[in-house]
Order: sequence, then structure tokens, then C-alpha cells
Amino acid sequence: MSAPEQTAPRTLSSGFGRLIVLVYVVFALSAGVRAGFQVATKFSHAPISYSLSAIAALIYLVAAIAIIRGNGRLALAAVSVELAGVVGVGAVSFAVSGWFPEASVWSHFGSGYGYVPLVLPAVGLVYLLRRRRSEESPAG
Amino acid sequence: MRSAMPRSLAAEADNAWASVWDVIEWLYLGVQAAALAMSAWFFVDTYRSVQVSRRHAVGVGALEVLLLAQVVVAVVLVSGAPGGGKALLFSYMVTALLVPVIAAFWGSIDRSRWGIGTVAASGLIVAALMMRVHQIWEFQVNVGS
Repeated sequence: MSAPEQTAPRTLSSGFGRLIVLVYVVFALSAGVRAGFQVATKFSHAPISYSLSAIAALIYLVAAIAIIRGNGRLALAAVSVELAGVVGVGAVSFAVSGWFPEASVWSHFGSGYGYVPLVLPAVGLVYLLRRRRSEESPAG
Repeated sequence: MRSAMPRSLAAEADNAWASVWDVIEWLYLGVQAAALAMSAWFFVDTYRSVQVSRRHAVGVGALEVLLLAQVVVAVVLVSGAPGGGKALLFSYMVTALLVPVIAAFWGSIDRSRWGIGTVAASGLIVAALMMRVHQIWEFQVNVGS
């Protein structure tokens, strides 16, 4: 029951970061493929929804790559943009529902994806900020 | 049943379709239940800080057998179904097939409790994908019956 020895250096994608990366990669791929298909086949149907879904997929991809490569600053930026995006787009989708005839990843605060798009950046932000703080004070 | 065959081929065909739909429904419900069970088991091990080990591989393997059965059955049975959502249906099934394997490799190289935690999360992802499979099956493939 002794504390595990930290022989390997702790990277951003180890520990809980590993789970976060898995979810980001799955979202980047699923949202990306879906948005790509929607843009290719029926873009005029709901141009704002599909464009925003494609942008969301891109940001998920950037966040995943930044965490895997240990680029804390880029990861923090991507996750912050993501949080602002889901809150902003979520609010606009309720205010001006006519812009969103079809659901987007971020519309209605991600309700079409079980609100994971809202929870994910919040969890990611807490994780990245805590990791950054523990790196600034290595004694802790 | 067999004696009635020549008389009512159409009804027989309808019966066949009804049983096909049953098989598909039982498969995605079964996969979903198995995925959630695996996830619960692995999250308990996450809580206990258990390292990824062989018995976890057996758990992932069992889920993979079910997922593979689903894809094979779907390819054999759904090809003749009405509706245009078949490619979408198969893409979700194949994604569900890949996610636990990728998560198992990605998680097994971690020394912390979140190694198995990552594999546990893949079970939730598979369950969510099965919800989409269900929706696509109900509204985009199994239509006009």
C-alpha cells in the first residue's frame, strides 16, 4: 500500500490526462467525420450548425494533440476556446433558434451529445490548471 | 410453419424480417449492457488503483466478441433492409469495435489508476455509440415496414 514511485516523468497525457485524451480523440473523430459528411452532402441545409460542428471538431483535435505532446499552454488555450464556444453557441442557439435548423455539437449546450461538450472543457480546464500549479511548486 | 410455406411466401418473408429486427435489437441491447457492465467493473478497479492486467484484457475481449458478432450479423442481415442509413449504421458499429481496443492499448501504458480508468471510459463511449446505432436503426434503416 506504499505510494507508487514516480520513476517515469509525469507528462500531461499520463494519469487522468490519458482518459481526457481518449475522449478528445473520440470527439474530434466523430464530430469531424459527421461534420465533414454534413458539409459535403447538405451544407445549405444548416450552414451555421455544420460549420460550427467542423470548428468544434478542429478544436477537439488541437486540444488532444496539445495534451499528447505536453504543450500545456496550447492545450489551455484550446480548452478555453472550447468552453467559450459551447457556452456562447449554446446561449445563441436558444436565443436565435432559427440559425440552428439542425443540431450542432455545441448548440443547446451540447444536449445532442449528452452535454459531454459542456462537461469536457470544464473538466479539462480544471485538470490543466491543477497540473500547471503542481508543476510550478514541485514540492507539492 | 414449414407446411404453410408454399401458400404464404409473403407472410413468411415478413416473419423473417420481423425476426431479423429482433436479432438486431437484441444485439445492440446486449452490447450496450455488456459495455456498461465492463465499464462499472473497470471503474471499481480504477477506484482501487488496479493496474491493467490480463483479466481486463479478457473483459475487453468478451465485449469485442459481442461487437464483432453485431457487425457480422448486421452485414449479413441488414444489407437488404429498406432505408438509406446503412453506411452510417456500419460506421458506428465499426467505430464501437475499435474504441475499446484503442483505449486498452492507450490505457495499458499508464502506471496510475487512470490506466484502467481510460479503458473503463471506453465502455461508456461504446454504450453511447449503441444509442446512436439504435436511433439510426429505428429511423434511418428499419423504415417503411
